[in-house]
Amino acid sequence: MTVTPAVDPVRPEAVQTAKRKLKGAGEPKAKPKSRKSFAMFLSIVPFLILVFLFSYFPLYGWIYSLFDYRPARGLDGSEFVGLQWFELLVSSPTQLKQIGQVMANTLGMSFLGIATSILPLAFAVFLNEIKAKWFKNIVQTLTTLPNFISWVLVYMIAFSLFSTTGLVNTVLIDSGLITIPMKFLDSDQNVWLTMMAWSIWKGLGWGAIMYLAAIAGIDQSLYESAKVDGAGRFKTMWYITVPQLMPTYFVLLLLSIANLLNNGMEQYYVFQNAFNKEYIQVLDLYVYNVGITGNSLSMATAISMLKSIISVILLLTVNWLAKRVRGTALI
Amino acid sequence: MKFTKVAATALASFLAVGALASCSPGEEEPGGSNSQAGATSSAFPTEWSEEITIDVFDGLANAMGEQPGWFAKIVKDKFNMKLNIIAPNVAGGGDTLYNTRVAAGDLGDLIVTDKGQKLDELVDGGLVMDVADYYPNMANAKNFDAAVQKLNSDFAGTYAFPTSVSSLAPTDPSEGIDPTFGPFVRWDLYKQIGYPEINTLEDLLPVLKQMQDAQPTAENGSKVYGMSLFKDWDGNMMNNAKQPVTFYGYDEMGFVIAKADGSDYQSIIDSDSEYVRTLKFFFEANQLGIMDPESTTQNYDTLFSKMQNGQVLFSFWPWQGQSAYNTIDNMEAGKGFMIAPMKDQKIFSYGAEPAGGKQVLAVGSKAEDPERIAAFIDWLYSPEGTYANNSQTMGAAGPQGLTWELNSEGKPELTEFGMKALVGGGADVPAEYGTGTYKDGASWLNVTLVLPIDTDPNTGEAFSYKTWETFQEATSNPLYEDWSAKMGGEATTMDYLKANDMLMVAPGASYTAPTDSSEIETLRNQVKAVIVSESWKMAFAANEGEFNALLAGLQETAKGLGYDKVLEVDMANAKEQNDLRVASAAGE
Repeated sequence: MTVTPAVDPVRPEAVQTAKRKLKGAGEPKAKPKSRKSFAMFLSIVPFLILVFLFSYFPLYGWIYSLFDYRPARGLDGSEFVGLQWFELLVSSPTQLKQIGQVMANTLGMSFLGIATSILPLAFAVFLNEIKAKWFKNIVQTLTTLPNFISWVLVYMIAFSLFSTTGLVNTVLIDSGLITIPMKFLDSDQNVWLTMMAWSIWKGLGWGAIMYLAAIAGIDQSLYESAKVDGAGRFKTMWYITVPQLMPTYFVLLLLSIANLLNNGMEQYYVFQNAFNKEYIQVLDLYVYNVGITGNSLSMATAISMLKSIISVILLLTVNWLAKRVRGTALI
Repeated sequence: MKFTKVAATALASFLAVGALASCSPGEEEPGGSNSQAGATSSAFPTEWSEEITIDVFDGLANAMGEQPGWFAKIVKDKFNMKLNIIAPNVAGGGDTLYNTRVAAGDLGDLIVTDKGQKLDELVDGGLVMDVADYYPNMANAKNFDAAVQKLNSDFAGTYAFPTSVSSLAPTDPSEGIDPTFGPFVRWDLYKQIGYPEINTLEDLLPVLKQMQDAQPTAENGSKVYGMSLFKDWDGNMMNNAKQPVTFYGYDEMGFVIAKADGSDYQSIIDSDSEYVRTLKFFFEANQLGIMDPESTTQNYDTLFSKMQNGQVLFSFWPWQGQSAYNTIDNMEAGKGFMIAPMKDQKIFSYGAEPAGGKQVLAVGSKAEDPERIAAFIDWLYSPEGTYANNSQTMGAAGPQGLTWELNSEGKPELTEFGMKALVGGGADVPAEYGTGTYKDGASWLNVTLVLPIDTDPNTGEAFSYKTWETFQEATSNPLYEDWSAKMGGEATTMDYLKANDMLMVAPGASYTAPTDSSEIETLRNQVKAVIVSESWKMAFAANEGEFNALLAGLQETAKGLGYDKVLEVDMANAKEQNDLRVASAAGE
């Protein structure tokens, strides 16, 4: 066993072995070749520091959940309250129900996001088939652009289109199709789906870039031989392009599952209002609403710790699954 | 631990200095109090060589950025200072801005915030400065020494300065010719439909409906709605739904609405509370088609401009409806917002607070030139400062010489420019007074230090031009005449309400609710988020069944989140406030 953390990005197993090796780096097993291994160790030190700074040091912030933190008084001047906030969280069925709803929103929208992650792939595959280069470029530019528009501006667009006096309602009323303006934004109907639609609109083109790059890397001889065998355009798409993209797709899928709980808050923050709040509050937004808007920073810390706990549970579940299915554990 | 020690030492030394200072020059000049322009007392420099820009964290301001126009010019000329206003109201998100700035340890150089919990914490945390050293020089503020002392009685030093002070009795309304609240409608349309009688709140619905039918579109072609709401000021409850409650003498205290005379205390979410009655009122308005569907998304500014354009026919407040729509041109044409009394109303009125209102001014602990800021605060208490700084909707007359002057009989009178700028739809200020329109250049501080209805010792009349005889004579117009004729000849809303026993003054007691315990505060914040969002849903419910289901859901959720615990605290506070009011009224 050599201690060279050469990581092959394609095979996840390689990552795992590398990790296991890293773990073992400090142990006496990794014998004397001391100078070389020390140099190797030095080369990973910066990354260890980064990991410590951004993954472990922030855990210190959890201490706020044990205090009644008042910003004006600072942590020193704030009262130590022990587990009060945690008790409060589970103190009544209503509290639990609220958190349950928040978790349902978070997971629900995350899974919808994962379920639709196939769309950028499909989009890339079809886009690739367009022969007119200028048209292809235009489509790609136009679909990629929304990714660079901030959610605040997206909401402004949404507002001018879909508010009660927005474009859509005005057109519908003027054409006599409806008499009362439809409530698109301030309603609790299909919140998850509309949110999903907005994020697809924003992210579709951007998400396709990775696949377009992967398509460019597919060996052209595959297509040529398929054509020789009489495959048409759709056949080559289905039997060559799609299978070739699958590894990329699965890597991205894995990454998005890892981010299950991090489905962002900007989007939901700008779209939230009294009417859709119940279904739009994801965990991050809930923490923000309780902590910053509601002025209960300590309580918000306690709630945000939930995220870590659930992440650990997810990790253990996946690990268990992996063990069952593949016979090797991830950790 | 360490910190408190440091703070204690610092305090002790401040105290010593303060004690010394107060023995010396300040006491020798009690007579210097009312001298007008030179009121920035002798001990403050009259010139400041270096120009500074101060950050003003202003919980009341409705505009953000550098103060422009004529008010900026006065402050620049007097103090060589620019005001950079930081307005949490504009930034939105409740206390977000406050919390982040507090956590960063610097709220601003001049701070306008609430007394009670916020002020206590700022003092404890060392974010505001003890200005006891400068207080002896603050001759104008010393006119209200009792209020200043009372406000600072819990602190070892002089940290905060009171607002809304006056020399009035606590049982006198602190408002001017109009109360703070009242059912104000577009009088011209009310007249057009034949002044139908309004016995109670719900009678307003058919009236507004008829008015809306009488004028379905405004001059700008937009649709007219009887009522329009906004969500910016939601707090413990949906703010707009609290307003009609005040027509019956109630005001809020957390989740309690309490009658001004202490005869009734209601939990807002009870099915038979006045608050739920208002939600029902909104709901019915929506069913009748007189509720602006944009209510759920618009903010105050949007609503205000709609009122200016005549697109909304009802206002909870004279200072909103009238200041938006009652321009001279409109009033000459008989158009404008006037109160349409409901037979059973008992309008809540805030008595003059002997020790000042809810907001306070303080100097930030990191202010670079606290002396200048203290001098500025002192100036705001002076007659000149009062005329210039008080908000226009409260009737501040503006700088003497520009908008008003003393006439031949020695009485204050609006100048031609003043008439145009204040009630005539606006005017550009002359170059010597600054730039821009008069309205845009008005003080952005939006905080009242001396009540506009208090008397200016120099003129013998109130600071508010609206109460001046000369003004009332000059502005007599078809709208007022018609209204007055209908109201039995009474000249102002206040006169009418007093004459008909329709006013309920809550004696000013300067009560501040004690700080919530951390648990109560957290419960409150969770519960109020639910109350606010459910209230909006109820007002816009599709049908009565949904309304009732939402109410039941709200009651269940709120109680499940610990509503009752918070209510108990609020109930006790409301009763304590009433005790103080009774004592304050009896003290006269």
